Amino acid sequence: MNDFITVYSGDLMRRIKSRPFIIGLLLGTFAIIAMFKLPTMLAPSIVNQGTRILIVADAPLAAQARPLLAKTLTVTGVVPAGTKIDRALLKRFDADSAVSIADAKNGIGVTIFAKNPTSVPSGRIRAALLPLQVQHSTHLTSAQIATALNANIEVRSLSTKFHSVHQAEAAQGLAMTLVVFLYILVILNSQFVMSAVAEEKTSRIAELLIATVDPMVLLVAKVLVGATLSVLQLLVWVGIGIALGPGGSGSAAGSANANPFSLAGLLGNTLSPEVIAAFILFFLLGFLQISTVFAGVASLINRTEDLGSISGPMVIPTVAGYFIGILAINAPALPIVTVTSFVPLLSPFVMFARMAVSHVPLWQIGTSIALNVLALWGIAWFAGKLYRVGMMLYGRPPKLGQVWDILRSPS
Amino acid sequence: MLSVESIKKSFGSVEALRDVSFSIGAGSVFGLLGPNGSGKTTTMRIILNILNPDGGRVSWNGSAIDRSLRRRFGYLPEERGLYGKMAVREQIIYFGRLHGLHEPDAGKRADAWIERLEIGSYALRPAAELSKGNQQKVQIACAALHEPELLILDEPFSGLDPVNADILLAVLLDLKAKGTTLVLSSHQMWQLEQLCTAYCVINKGETRATGTLVELRSAWPTRIVRVGPDSPALRDAAGKLGATIAGSENGDLDLNVPANSDFAAMLRRFTEADSIVKFEVVEPSLHDIYLRAIGAAV
Repeated sequence: MNDFITVYSGDLMRRIKSRPFIIGLLLGTFAIIAMFKLPTMLAPSIVNQGTRILIVADAPLAAQARPLLAKTLTVTGVVPAGTKIDRALLKRFDADSAVSIADAKNGIGVTIFAKNPTSVPSGRIRAALLPLQVQHSTHLTSAQIATALNANIEVRSLSTKFHSVHQAEAAQGLAMTLVVFLYILVILNSQFVMSAVAEEKTSRIAELLIATVDPMVLLVAKVLVGATLSVLQLLVWVGIGIALGPGGSGSAAGSANANPFSLAGLLGNTLSPEVIAAFILFFLLGFLQISTVFAGVASLINRTEDLGSISGPMVIPTVAGYFIGILAINAPALPIVTVTSFVPLLSPFVMFARMAVSHVPLWQIGTSIALNVLALWGIAWFAGKLYRVGMMLYGRPPKLGQVWDILRSPS
Repeated sequence: MLSVESIKKSFGSVEALRDVSFSIGAGSVFGLLGPNGSGKTTTMRIILNILNPDGGRVSWNGSAIDRSLRRRFGYLPEERGLYGKMAVREQIIYFGRLHGLHEPDAGKRADAWIERLEIGSYALRPAAELSKGNQQKVQIACAALHEPELLILDEPFSGLDPVNADILLAVLLDLKAKGTTLVLSSHQMWQLEQLCTAYCVINKGETRATGTLVELRSAWPTRIVRVGPDSPALRDAAGKLGATIAGSENGDLDLNVPANSDFAAMLRRFTEADSIVKFEVVEPSLHDIYLRAIGAAV
């Protein structure tokens, strides 16, 4: 135990003071700040892109269309029908597009002339002019049309998990954010664990350490230091998220209505204790599984330059887990989602995402956790074997046959 | 006492150790000799339990070497390694703690070693900024801070300049005086002869010779008798005694004779044969014994 504490505390202090950790923490912090503040800063320019319009219509039609369009767009001017529409006209009226409106056989005909057709808010224009179209095709009064178009639509949740649409949207946004966090933390810190193992091996300090401390103690301490730093990073980032949340524009998922990082949101039903517990548990399971594999495999390399080539294939399950996790947030009942929520290395992402947005039977959660714990035990055995031998293996990297021999050899 | 009994170790199809045996008395200094690739480092790693032997047994005072015993040992590997960004003092303390020392004591001992090894000006600097020789001194402090019962040093003198080699020699003699058992390998025979009380020569994974220098010499079948000045009468007398001429240098004649020869009688015969001013029985050096043990020409 003393060995473990010494190695753990020594490694922790080294890693906390290391440049990669500090840079990673700062970059993550900047990313979180950007995630919250950039939408607010950029929103006006993004939302208003292409919304300055010039109406081209005869006076009576223009008089009817203008108030409708002005509700959601900026009308910079009105010119009579037949006016030559070109870039100079748009420039003169400081408009992004000219909306030409004319009477047609079954209502009105609308043609939009835009400097940049991809930025035309045609949906908004269509919605704004809908009453005018109905009026011209049915000859009803404006009041009648307004009444007819004002359908009262209410969404009531039958889910036992969420009581409202807003709450479900908030949970989706939050789940998305947490899955992103999960992915970043697992990838970033597993790579750190891998680099630390490779550094000790390539600097030849490993032999000195192994002469003193049991290799398994070294491996476990290294992986747990990675987990500690991940939790530390998470706390910093979530803390910043909470601090910025109330004034922010929403989650990473861009859920406009929900503000899952607002203190109220966190304390409310959006982030239930089960979801928090699931996040922590699945984060730890995922991190421990992946970083242990990384550490074991890193012990086989002889040059830090080789890290990239071996980490590439090992990242694949993590990336797959991340994408299926994102899929699970939008479609938690898909068969692939259900199946992969039991597959170790993938399930930390997928099962957590399912739990965050849907009601998952308790037996499924229990089975997934049990399978993950079992897999972690197997991975620790596998990585321990590799690490014990790999740290003393210099020269050419071992072939697969040699790795197999290592795994079969007695401890 | 350290006892190494018939240890064997293979790496895949390569037999690194076939049969290595020796024993070392407590408090002695033991030299492990052998050419590159002979199995010295593997033997050391097995003693330290870094590697498990495929066969044979290693024990310290009769007990198999386990984790708690290993904490009381020290090790300076051939391939040096330090945490490059960690400060020298911090590093020495860290390794002291790994060997069971507690912080205040480890700090005091680290300061004493830093002073002893004359690396005080680097104490707070990262190890990577030190020269190779100074890094080696830091490693020696890391290995010996906890006053180990057994200290294993793999090529401790390599990379050290003569001044630093003398410092290390003094440190090792000091440790010996305090009762630490030392096992060291080196290709510099003169340094080993200054330090070691017993030796083991390994070649191709096998023990070729083991014992004190006296024991190793006594097992040597011949001696060189240096007699001079060289003359035909002297050569004639040597031939009659059954000695073979090993060479002639600086006017003296080197004769190869059986180790159990009657040297007093031999001296009388030579003085009767000619006027001689030199008669010297040259004991085989460690270098000679080593070369013969590994099968190289002497």
